[in-house]
Amino acid sequence: MQTTLDADTTPAPAHIANHPTHWRNRGFAAHWRTRDDDFDASKFGMWLFLTTEVLLFAGIFCAYAVFRMLYPEAWANGSHHLDWRFGALNTVVLLISSWTAASAVRCAQLNKQKWLKINLIITLICAAAFLFIKFKFEYIPKLSEGKGPGAFFTYAFAEDPYEVLWWSLYYMGTGLHALHVVIGASLLGWVLYRSWKYQAYGPSEYLMVENSALYWHLVDLVWIFLFPLLYLIH
Amino acid sequence: MTNHDTTNHEPHAHGHPVVSWQIQLGVLLVLLFFTFTTVLFYNAENWIETAFQIHLPWWVNVIGAMSIATVKAILVCMFFMGLKYDKALNTFAMLFCLFCVALFLGFSMIDLDTRDRVDTWKKGEIVLGGTGKGLNTPSIDPAFDSTLSPTINTKGLSIVEFNRQQKIEQKGSEKAYWKYHYKKHPDHRHPADTNNYFATLGYDHQINLPDANKAVPRTGLTPGLFHATDPTTDPTTDPTAQADQDANASTKAKSDDTGKDHES
Repeated sequence: MQTTLDADTTPAPAHIANHPTHWRNRGFAAHWRTRDDDFDASKFGMWLFLTTEVLLFAGIFCAYAVFRMLYPEAWANGSHHLDWRFGALNTVVLLISSWTAASAVRCAQLNKQKWLKINLIITLICAAAFLFIKFKFEYIPKLSEGKGPGAFFTYAFAEDPYEVLWWSLYYMGTGLHALHVVIGASLLGWVLYRSWKYQAYGPSEYLMVENSALYWHLVDLVWIFLFPLLYLIH
Repeated sequence: MTNHDTTNHEPHAHGHPVVSWQIQLGVLLVLLFFTFTTVLFYNAENWIETAFQIHLPWWVNVIGAMSIATVKAILVCMFFMGLKYDKALNTFAMLFCLFCVALFLGFSMIDLDTRDRVDTWKKGEIVLGGTGKGLNTPSIDPAFDSTLSPTINTKGLSIVEFNRQQKIEQKGSEKAYWKYHYKKHPDHRHPADTNNYFATLGYDHQINLPDANKAVPRTGLTPGLFHATDPTTDPTTDPTAQADQDANASTKAKSDDTGKDHES
């Protein structure tokens, strides 16, 4: 198996290589014995944070299970209003973006600066595409039909009085997820900016790439479960 | 940079593992394949139910979709998030978190599923969840009250039936309406479809439609705890209502349209 020791050794242009933010010039916090301690602790911290994120979404999933058990007809009706094709398309978009995010980490580990940037750009394009599909083909048409959450539900032809609960849960679950897409894309955008300007990430200094990618994978994980729950199960 | 020691450049003795691009691409293809599989499963299931006029058990749908999702999630965690090559502590943290999630879900389900088995004296203290209202109060939104809608004059019809009649008028004939309906909802089976299906066979068979105006929580939160019945659909449960109906059928029919029938 390859390690970060097999990285590309091509030197950066002088004006970048001498910048203190270039990855070769970056140190680590003084209270760590080694760079690896710093890295492992930070990454474990990120994983702990991800567990809290999972618990956050677990609340949504738990509400889904409870309400589906109580009002199965409302859930069946509500799920019929969603088009699985948009859900599947967004799943593919997110899986591809997850792949490019994982590739970006790999490129940083091997000092492939050009492909690091390309992978990050593709990831950001996928994030934008996901949000575009979500709003253009799902949120906006449904809200204009009155299928809104809670008090905004004005759809007169619902077949079950509890369908409003379905829509509340749909907007909460996908809305919270969309917020995570925006945050994850912002993190990756920050990584892209710094690698573009300073080549800030490389084999010995890729923690920010790794943690941002972990966050992005979590966004993907949540959608992997939201997609069948909302679109496929009836 | 004050708390960073920029002169510390000790070489890495081992280096971090790097996942090869072949593995990453392979995992992506497997994930896309599973996405295709779960969509195929969903459509195959719909097709089977429509083509053979059967009802598959509810769990086929749920188990199929969720098991594929779980496999996909494991793949993402192992290879994209790198847990396979990482310190075991990270995996342990996530597994412990999933254990907690299982507790949340499990105890919620156990609670809901066994509320009708608590001691008799506790039953009176159980209140409805969801909307926070009891069976005797109107439904969650005035729009779903059994009184007529304030904004749309449905001429005494329920709002679902009113919509249907409007569509029939719009489409010209009832036949044209059904053509439109089937085209719009190819895999959405509706009791109205069943009635129409029986009608085309020549049977005078009517199934009561679920109706937004008449729909009240029949069982509430606790299945079997409340004996809530809708007298508009089942008059036999109440002998006095039966007697009333026999005595004066026309009055009863009128009260069905406008009266509030939230009985528990």
